[in-house]
Amino acid sequence: MPRSFKPDIRRHEPAPRDPGRRRLTLAAVLGAMGPGLLAALAGNDAGGIATYSSAGAQFGYGTLWILPVMAVLLIVVQETAARCGCVTGKGFASLIREKYGVRKSSFAMMALLIANTAVTISEFAGLASGLALFGVPKTISIPLIALIIWLLTMSGSFRRIEKVLLLVSCVFLTYVVAAFMVGPDWGEVARATIAPHVESDPSYVSLLVATIGTTIAPWMIFLAQNNVVDKNANEDDLPLQRVDAVSGSVIACAIAWFIVIATGAVLFPAGIEVADAADAALALEPIVGPWSTILFAAGLVAASFLAACVLPGVTSSAICEAFGWERGADRTWEEAPAYRGIITGIILFSALLVILPGINLFDIMMSAQVINGVLLPVLLVFLVFIAGDKLIMGTHANGRVWNALTWATIVLVTVLTVVMFVLQALGF
Amino acid sequence: MNYLSEMLKLPVIDVAGEKLGVVNDLGIATGEVFPHVTSLAFQGPGKTPFMISWRKYVDHIDDTGVYLKATATDVRFSYLQPDEVLLARDILNKQIVDTQGMKVVRVNDIKLSATGENQLRLLGAEVGMRGLLRAMHPALERLAMRIGKAVGKPLAEEIIAWSYMDLLERSTQQIKLSVSHKTLDELHPADIADIIEQLDPRLRGQVFAQLDTAQAAEALTELDDDDLVAEVIDGLSDRDASSMLALMDPDDAAALIEELDYEKAEKLLRIMGVNEEKAIRNLLGYEENTAGRIMTSEFVALPATSTVADAIDAIRELDEDFESVYYVYTTDAAGMLTGVLSLRTLIVATHDQRLVDLAYRDVVWVAPDLDQEDVAEEMTKYNLVAIPVCDDERHILGIVTVDDALDVIAEEHEEDLQIAGVGTGGEGAGESAHVLSWFAGRFYWVLVWAVASGIIAAALAWMGAPSELFVYPMCAMPVVLIAASRAVSFAKNYYLEDDEHDEDTRPYLAFWLQSTGVGIVLALVVYLSGQLVAGAAFPDDVLSQAGGSAVLGQQALAAAVLTRSFACAAGVVVLMCATSVGYLKLLDWRDRHDLDTSGTALSASAVIIACAIFSVVATLAVVLTVG
Repeated sequence: MPRSFKPDIRRHEPAPRDPGRRRLTLAAVLGAMGPGLLAALAGNDAGGIATYSSAGAQFGYGTLWILPVMAVLLIVVQETAARCGCVTGKGFASLIREKYGVRKSSFAMMALLIANTAVTISEFAGLASGLALFGVPKTISIPLIALIIWLLTMSGSFRRIEKVLLLVSCVFLTYVVAAFMVGPDWGEVARATIAPHVESDPSYVSLLVATIGTTIAPWMIFLAQNNVVDKNANEDDLPLQRVDAVSGSVIACAIAWFIVIATGAVLFPAGIEVADAADAALALEPIVGPWSTILFAAGLVAASFLAACVLPGVTSSAICEAFGWERGADRTWEEAPAYRGIITGIILFSALLVILPGINLFDIMMSAQVINGVLLPVLLVFLVFIAGDKLIMGTHANGRVWNALTWATIVLVTVLTVVMFVLQALGF
Repeated sequence: MNYLSEMLKLPVIDVAGEKLGVVNDLGIATGEVFPHVTSLAFQGPGKTPFMISWRKYVDHIDDTGVYLKATATDVRFSYLQPDEVLLARDILNKQIVDTQGMKVVRVNDIKLSATGENQLRLLGAEVGMRGLLRAMHPALERLAMRIGKAVGKPLAEEIIAWSYMDLLERSTQQIKLSVSHKTLDELHPADIADIIEQLDPRLRGQVFAQLDTAQAAEALTELDDDDLVAEVIDGLSDRDASSMLALMDPDDAAALIEELDYEKAEKLLRIMGVNEEKAIRNLLGYEENTAGRIMTSEFVALPATSTVADAIDAIRELDEDFESVYYVYTTDAAGMLTGVLSLRTLIVATHDQRLVDLAYRDVVWVAPDLDQEDVAEEMTKYNLVAIPVCDDERHILGIVTVDDALDVIAEEHEEDLQIAGVGTGGEGAGESAHVLSWFAGRFYWVLVWAVASGIIAAALAWMGAPSELFVYPMCAMPVVLIAASRAVSFAKNYYLEDDEHDEDTRPYLAFWLQSTGVGIVLALVVYLSGQLVAGAAFPDDVLSQAGGSAVLGQQALAAAVLTRSFACAAGVVVLMCATSVGYLKLLDWRDRHDLDTSGTALSASAVIIACAIFSVVATLAVVLTVG
């Protein structure tokens, strides 16, 4: 057997560093939790709020059980992505291209492009419906906001206002308080959280797919890995990255859990189906009274605005990375036409679609999450194969448990998607 | 068989016609300009990898497969040699540096060429669109080529020859590349810096580790992005970073150290040699953007009584990394600057002549706290390649050399361009994408106009006036928006062209009088145009009725609203022109605080302010007219 054909295992020399920095001190842990928390808050964007509040309003506590499951799976996915970044120092798109070549990576990029465009559309829908609560019609708000977002993304200067937007989007934490204020039957909540519960209603199944799609969005994989790569973290930073992934995932799912409880306790018994942002804001009424609409609208606008600034850039950057085109906000149109063109295209397309008359904004937000959910397995399959490759990951390749859990996610989403389509086809 | 993508997955067939497996990879010998393919790697049944010598066993290749000379049982397997590279594993899909085009690119396909009966050579890596399309499907490439030909823009191949490639990943770099290979470290430091800017942080560190310290130091000073410099220095060990800083010219080192946080900077300075540390600390004592900060302490000064031979000896004894010597300065017994000689004077003179007899006495010098732009101006004015920086007693502290002065001028130029609203590096017009951003920069007011008109309509409805009247303010609004953006341009041009004054001496009052005068004339034109339109559109009796204050008929109402909208526009135009002095003041203020100003942002805010004022005034005017 020609042994020499076996490529040499890559070695990565860790950059010389202060030894003190590697120890898991409390300060280090708290510091590491930062990005994960931010990502968790940003993850609760327009689509997330729409999905969770529809779930609560339509089925009460019926979908609560999926959230702890989601927390575990989100931890698995985020940790895997961060680990890939730490070990290889490359973005997810690079890894896909280098392992799978042009054909398969263009397939993966297509999936990413569709999923992220769908999410961007839903962010624009979130912006439109949030501003509609302030009385601004979407034909006025969307062109203006699209222009601002385009300028911010093109110049890369949205990072300056990132923190402010995150702070404003923290208003969704009031759902936690709201959940306590309405005083649900906690015993029932606990039962619903632990015991899986399935209904053969197609809208129930598509809500499940949407919940998965919005919690584990494909763009999060890319964003998580890019963050690590940009920080130039290496294997020594893995423990901290894990802390980050776990805390972020748990908090993201906890917020979602509280949203479902609050809406499930307020809207479900009243029989209110969430059809627009004003309905979803009703769940906050017990805590802030008449201010609920304003609070909700501010949060929705800030969260959607932030995500709408981030998403086109992440998508374009990943595509250019895979195909070897120049990218980055500091490149001019001549240097990086593809990068800038893709961003412009996504923003333009999303804005136009949202402006179209007679479109239900809340439906758009929901269906974007379903698309996300349907396309998620495609990218997860790439992730699980790359993370399991010993040539790429060395000693940090996926273990059995991690592989099994990722595959479980893939199978779960695929099965739910198939069930959803079958149910719809049968005309339930 | 021209491309690797076409060769992969071809069957490998022995002389008896038996299929042994499918082609997996090709090995090349790296020591040639166009390397030979030396080994064939293929995948047998059960995914077992095999490798055989190309020269010994391959008979010929065609579209249907690779045909061997021997039978399966006679083939001896071989191993990958240390000087061999596997094309699919090590190069295909990987990022490489194009050392000729100075770019980081990804290899989409690999071009091969058949020479002789059974020989294959590597021509280079295909990095363009065609390689990408071919790798997706050859039919796509053909389609794209046909379309390209039809629209008159044939799709060319972008090939990087093997000798101009540098592999980025260290794992494959263990293979020694050929001697003829042009690698990263042979490039000019400024080009290395360009490439480094295009890389991911991890690769950046690896490329830096590959350079020797002197080169790395130079490349570091050439990086444009300050954050990037700080990031790279953070990635190095303290010792490496410190020795790199010590190697730089002290003024460059001082500029870099300033980007670091205080603790890190102190640490690096402490482990440095005493002389370098002193030089850098001295410079750091001066304020940013002054002559003192950009000067170097490396210059040649001798007592005026020395001879030419002394001076030449002094220059000979300098270190290799000493700043370039352009002039020799002479000083008197008290160390005061008395004269300057060019190298040419020294070379032409006889050895025993005294410097004092040769030196040019009327030396131009600057004070260390002089602004760097003024230093550059002095150098331009007197055509100097270096200018001495002296204290009050005319003791030389250092010199500012032409390279730093050019940097200052480039920086200023870039700031000016930004204020003028022209993006940097965006001068090459004609690209369709460029047209788009040009349009966005000039005609965004159309969008503001549309949105504001919608708001006026909504506001009219809310205030109980007929909302269809919004078309009259809408007609007049573009005049206001364009006038606002022109007024800002006027202030910008004034700022850019008037070099003689700074914030303290600028004649603001004169500017205000001038711009207000222009504004009043413009407003008159606008108002009269409104009258002209109204006069042409409405009969005289309606107009006279519109002038009165009685309850108006429908036509008279329209005429009144039209003329009043134009009157409002005229008023806002005067206001915008009169306030443009504020923008001039703002530009000066930002310049003094060293803040970059974007011209487009400035005019956009002016347009939006003007739009808001006009919308409010015009809406009120309409509401009052309706009664």
